[in-house]
Amino acid sequence: MRVRIKEDSCQGHAMCALTCPEVFQTNEDTGHAFVVSEFVAPEVESRVLIARDSCPEEAIEVF
Amino acid sequence: MSETTSKSAKQCPMAFDHHGEHHSRHWPEVYGELRETCPRPWVDQYDGFWVATKYSDIQNISQRTDVISSVKSADPDTGTETGGVTIPTLQGARSILNELDSPEWDSVRGFMTRRFSPKAANNLKARTEQLTNMLIDDVIETGRLDFVEDLTNPLPAIVTVEILGFPIDEWKAFSDPIHLFVSLPRDDPRLAEAAAGILRFRERVDEEIALRREQPRDDLLSYFAHGTIDGSPLSDDLIQDLAWQIMSGGVDTTGSVAANALLYLGRNAEQRRWLRENRQHLPRACEEFVRYFTPIQGAGRTLKHDAEIDGWQLSQGDRLLLAYASANRDPAIFDDPEEVKLDRTPNRHIGYGVGQHRCLGAFMARMMFQCMLDVVLRRIPDYEIDESGVAGYPSVGFVNGLVHVPATFTPGSVQADEGA
Repeated sequence: MRVRIKEDSCQGHAMCALTCPEVFQTNEDTGHAFVVSEFVAPEVESRVLIARDSCPEEAIEVF
Repeated sequence: MSETTSKSAKQCPMAFDHHGEHHSRHWPEVYGELRETCPRPWVDQYDGFWVATKYSDIQNISQRTDVISSVKSADPDTGTETGGVTIPTLQGARSILNELDSPEWDSVRGFMTRRFSPKAANNLKARTEQLTNMLIDDVIETGRLDFVEDLTNPLPAIVTVEILGFPIDEWKAFSDPIHLFVSLPRDDPRLAEAAAGILRFRERVDEEIALRREQPRDDLLSYFAHGTIDGSPLSDDLIQDLAWQIMSGGVDTTGSVAANALLYLGRNAEQRRWLRENRQHLPRACEEFVRYFTPIQGAGRTLKHDAEIDGWQLSQGDRLLLAYASANRDPAIFDDPEEVKLDRTPNRHIGYGVGQHRCLGAFMARMMFQCMLDVVLRRIPDYEIDESGVAGYPSVGFVNGLVHVPATFTPGSVQADEGA
């Protein structure tokens, strides 16, 4: 599984970082999210999917 | 897909007044019925406006900044203001960030974002804990408090005036008019008193800015006095508008959701016990309270030109209320939306708005909200609500707030040094 943030869509709600901080973090200056690693470890895959479903802007793409 | 909605084709089957007394007590049922029977009503009240009640509509419309506007503008002859993010349009109190569109918005938001970043919120955490503990110290030996008067009104207001750079004992003079301004029905004569208080705030901004121009300090007013946007210094009007935006944004929102959460936890002892024992879920619980109570219940927009959005025919100049409070209870998105689930996951609530205008102060709000709940659960865990004294805002059309939440508890001891 791979994951990325559509930067144009992210508004910095930070719900992804709350849900799966191993993969998603927020930029300390802008509040916008970034992924620590595009490649998702199998043990956090399910929480990455929940994080995707937590985003009000639908800014998280899993592929 | 969805059937076409237009003013002539579909009218609201029920009276709707988001500032009315009935709405303030029954908004979840009102929105529930609208979502099921007439999710895109046209309302004649306040010069007419559409209401978007479904999550998907609000999300879609919020992205369409090509057709919707947040701008408030004044008639050059009469000074009467139209548009903006409130329905009806509030006169004489421009929310400079909320009521701008791109490209002007981008410059101002960029200027402000760094001062309200996750890092900035984190830097204020120890001070916020200290202030929260001081407020609890003031009442802890008495065994009685009013959560609104003693904690949820003062804490965010004090933190906000400190961020701006005012002496903290001015918090009440600034915050009282704001509570009145947002909570009164739109025909209440006391609105004039509130408007006068807001004018005084603007005068105080001018006075302090003059001092900061001479001698900058480490505060937001100094940042305004010496900052530049697109290479130009900020005008006095812009500074007043920005200071007002921060003060009004900081005062009523966080305190309202915190008071509602404390009232809820007072009425639901089992969930309070669970949260005390599972403190690691506090951030998630706070998100759930923002969803459930939605302190800013909705935002207004104006159509820039005719448009169709998912079969919804909208005309140039139409006003539209994006009912965030309704979206946050939409069963199409949330399981058991009328229940508080403290560990709700996922929780894609739009209590901080959605799209470009997501709440600037969201990271500050979360930090203060979590801090207030944490200190209360730790220091006065057995509080009992005095139901006879609970009172809500007469109008929740702008902010879902409370006037009084009195409670009693086993008295404790002062521990002012517990701050950080």
